[in-house]
Amino acid sequence: MSSWLDYTINGLIVGNVYALVAVGLALIFGVSRLINFAQGSIYLVGAYIGWVAVVQLHTPLPLTIIVVAAAAAIVGLVIERFGLRPLQNSVRIAPLLATIGISFVLDQLVMLTFSPNPRALPSQLPDVRFQVGGGTIGPLDLLIAGVGITSALLLFVFLRYSKLGWAVRAASQDRDAAMQMGVDVNRVNQAVFGIAAALGGVSGMLVGMYYNQIDTAMSLQATLKGVVAEVVGGAGNVPGAVIGSLLLGLVESYGVAVFGTSYRNLFAFLLLVVVLVLRPNGLFASARQAPPEPLTGTFIAPSRPVRIPRWALLVAVAIFAVLPFFPVSFYVLQTLINAWLLGMLALSLTLVAGTMGQVSLGHAALLAIGAYTSALLSLTLNVPVGLAIIAGGLMSAALGTTLISPSFRLRGHYVSIATLAIGEIVSLVILNWESVTRGPIGISGIPPLSLFGYDLVSPTSIYWFSFVVMVALALLQGRLLGSHLGRSFRAIRDDDIAARAYGLSLNRYKSLAFIFGGFAAGVSGAIAAHLYSYINHETFNTQQSILALTVVILGGLGNVVGAIVGAMALVGLPEVFRIAAEYRILIYGIVLLLLVRFRPQGLLGTM
Amino acid sequence: MSNIDRRTLVKGSLAAMVAGAAFSRSAFAQSSEPILLGVSGPLTGPNAQYGTQWKQGFDLALDEIQAAGGINGRKLAYQFEDSQSDPRQSVAIAQKFVSDPRIVMELGDFSSPASMAASPIYQRGGLVQFGFTNSHPDFTKGGDFMWSTSVSQADEQPLLARYAVKRLGLKKLAVLHLNTDWGRTSRDYFVNAAKEYGAEIAVTEGYIAEERDFRSTLVRVRDANPDGLILISYYSDGALIARQARQVGLKQVICAASSVYSPKFLELGGEAVEDVHVGTRYFPEDPRPEVQKFIAGFKKKYNGLEPDAFNAYSYDAMNMAAAVVRIGGADRKAIRDAFTKVKDVPSVIFGTATFDVATRRVKGAMNAELVVRKGQFALWDGKPT
Repeated sequence: MSSWLDYTINGLIVGNVYALVAVGLALIFGVSRLINFAQGSIYLVGAYIGWVAVVQLHTPLPLTIIVVAAAAAIVGLVIERFGLRPLQNSVRIAPLLATIGISFVLDQLVMLTFSPNPRALPSQLPDVRFQVGGGTIGPLDLLIAGVGITSALLLFVFLRYSKLGWAVRAASQDRDAAMQMGVDVNRVNQAVFGIAAALGGVSGMLVGMYYNQIDTAMSLQATLKGVVAEVVGGAGNVPGAVIGSLLLGLVESYGVAVFGTSYRNLFAFLLLVVVLVLRPNGLFASARQAPPEPLTGTFIAPSRPVRIPRWALLVAVAIFAVLPFFPVSFYVLQTLINAWLLGMLALSLTLVAGTMGQVSLGHAALLAIGAYTSALLSLTLNVPVGLAIIAGGLMSAALGTTLISPSFRLRGHYVSIATLAIGEIVSLVILNWESVTRGPIGISGIPPLSLFGYDLVSPTSIYWFSFVVMVALALLQGRLLGSHLGRSFRAIRDDDIAARAYGLSLNRYKSLAFIFGGFAAGVSGAIAAHLYSYINHETFNTQQSILALTVVILGGLGNVVGAIVGAMALVGLPEVFRIAAEYRILIYGIVLLLLVRFRPQGLLGTM
Repeated sequence: MSNIDRRTLVKGSLAAMVAGAAFSRSAFAQSSEPILLGVSGPLTGPNAQYGTQWKQGFDLALDEIQAAGGINGRKLAYQFEDSQSDPRQSVAIAQKFVSDPRIVMELGDFSSPASMAASPIYQRGGLVQFGFTNSHPDFTKGGDFMWSTSVSQADEQPLLARYAVKRLGLKKLAVLHLNTDWGRTSRDYFVNAAKEYGAEIAVTEGYIAEERDFRSTLVRVRDANPDGLILISYYSDGALIARQARQVGLKQVICAASSVYSPKFLELGGEAVEDVHVGTRYFPEDPRPEVQKFIAGFKKKYNGLEPDAFNAYSYDAMNMAAAVVRIGGADRKAIRDAFTKVKDVPSVIFGTATFDVATRRVKGAMNAELVVRKGQFALWDGKPT
């Protein structure tokens, strides 16, 4: 029985680690209603500044903390001033994407400066251990707990009793009203970003010392866990973020205790989904709090979409259809095949996120479901590949919609976070459900694409096949959007309350959108599986989901042609920048930032 | 310039171009252009560190190859394309390499999904895909253009099991493994071998690569009451587990797979990795000349930096590539056939490497039984810890 004490202590310790990130996220969300995906990167920057201070400059611990906090705060101020403030009057999704772009840039700068090899960050505290339960606790554990809880308390006092704190709260409740009352909202934002970044930086350093290890891949994990903890606690609620973090740590620890290590993250994300479904504003949201997103439509930029004349589209389709007759290299064809596959995924997401207003960050799960279904059917039951691909699409439609349906009552950012969690859950189920998915070994020897008994193995035939499928899906979707159904989708996106008052059944329409979108994504994943011949749980990961969202934003939300143009651009750009090797993700991040800044409605505009 | 009539110059260069075009094939074969290998691997993304390590090993091997006169008088060079170890990018790179006539064979990719997604393209394109970190059991089954010097886990894990069970006398084991294709395959080979040697497996725990917190896992391990911990880990997670094991009060003997063998393991693990036993494929104090030459060269080239296992793999791979190209010339198919002919190539990992034509892998990795003593890897002296 004593083990339970140990699991509890361990859960609280790791919960404290999560709290360090979650508090900063909560603070920023409270003021800007923004999930700052760059918070993990600031945490990374803090860890490396800490390394420079400790290992190169030999600073004592108090000085290290001050140096790291100051440097990280400066990074935060720069992000606020140059990355986010110019986006103040654009749509909600723009700053969200900007933080993703900023995180690419920061992570990459750190990697280029310090190399991707992990480094040891020695703890500057004496290594004494106190016996607690069957395990031990050291001074660093206590310091981390102290920093997490103290900062939450200080922030709470600051928000409640200081003048700037009042301004912060006023700005978070109603930005315009606060401005009319003379609150300098920019100054408030600056203060908040500075504080949050300082906290983030110090937490990166402390966590680095805790594990005696820092590496450039630590930022995404930190962001993911931080977001989960924050939302569980109630987005924007600082003490809630601490309690949410501790709860997350405990759930993970008990999950390991009961089911084993490989299920650990599964419980973290299940907790998130359960909390979102039962208490959509988090466990500690006050009952009086206004819904965080009054209208789903606030995500969508008002814009006049670029109308592409029908003849121009026909010409473009014709050119791409006959392209293989010209002397183009297989490399170009393969790159375009990737673009068509991403285009199908983008069609799926643009329908769900753009037309329907349900921004999904877990779309890679639909790819994975389609891919595994088609691969397993053709490999183990000898189903012809053509049929297996259709089955993959249908399975994604059915299973994807079922999984996502609990999130239908959520709004705005919460939809994104719920779908993010569902994406992670699907990936972890694939990893652990060995009897069906073969677990970490993955599925190899998947038969190549074939149609009516003919194998499609040359890049040319795969090119045509995927192109035809994509065009067919695009035509179908264009038809759908022009119909009564498409108008109902947009009505729900723009004002769900009005749509409901008008008698539209929200759940039914959302289901329809996810069914169609799931099919397109599932087909894309299935084709990829037969193209690669080997898939495992990592083939379709969170990065894919973020990429798909970027494509859709780039092209213009809800814009069918835009989705395809966006896919071509985002598959093409990294290939164009291939010569830039180590620098290309950096360039990609900067391009993303510029786009968000200068054309937030996307290249072709929102439909 | 003034002495030369401009028209003659233009004529001359035109003629040269025509001649060049007409005889490009034959001219290419004897040209002073380097023989080019394609490398597909991660330079950015979560596995970027391994791509960086590959480059260090490659560059060192190339320096030596060039200094020894290159390949029949021609230089050997590589073109590194960043795949981020992502299957979407590795297939595009595969098409690029296959359709680039200058590339005579390919090395990489790093992870199984990225490598095996590209395999069908290399196979159909008739370009050798030479993997040297590809331990997935199905990698070389992708076709007769897939070859690998990655040590088969079927080869390595029984040696580790022997070290743990027979030599260290551990009877009841807890196995912690990275839950990837590599970790999972390795675990199965290890568990089978350990059972054959008469050990009992008390618990096995798989963890994902991003995991940083192992305390709760280690409580499970403690409750299973083993007398030894086996880590099938990379150096970074291996060091983390060792540290946290000591922190939660586990004092059992720790035994780790060769993949932790890196100076970084000592740096990241600190005092916690003292007395950790490691079965490894090479060891700097190994007196074999291949090893000593590699280490001396590496330290000289990289300002005293200690090489680790991934440096050794890439160094070996480049030397193997050179040996194969020396036999096969600059022809892709001849290079494929050369893999069946190449014999006893000096190798840090294998001593000398020869391919088993049936499996297209190399057998007989060297094994040294190491233990960490006073913050250094040392040969185990047979004394219990």
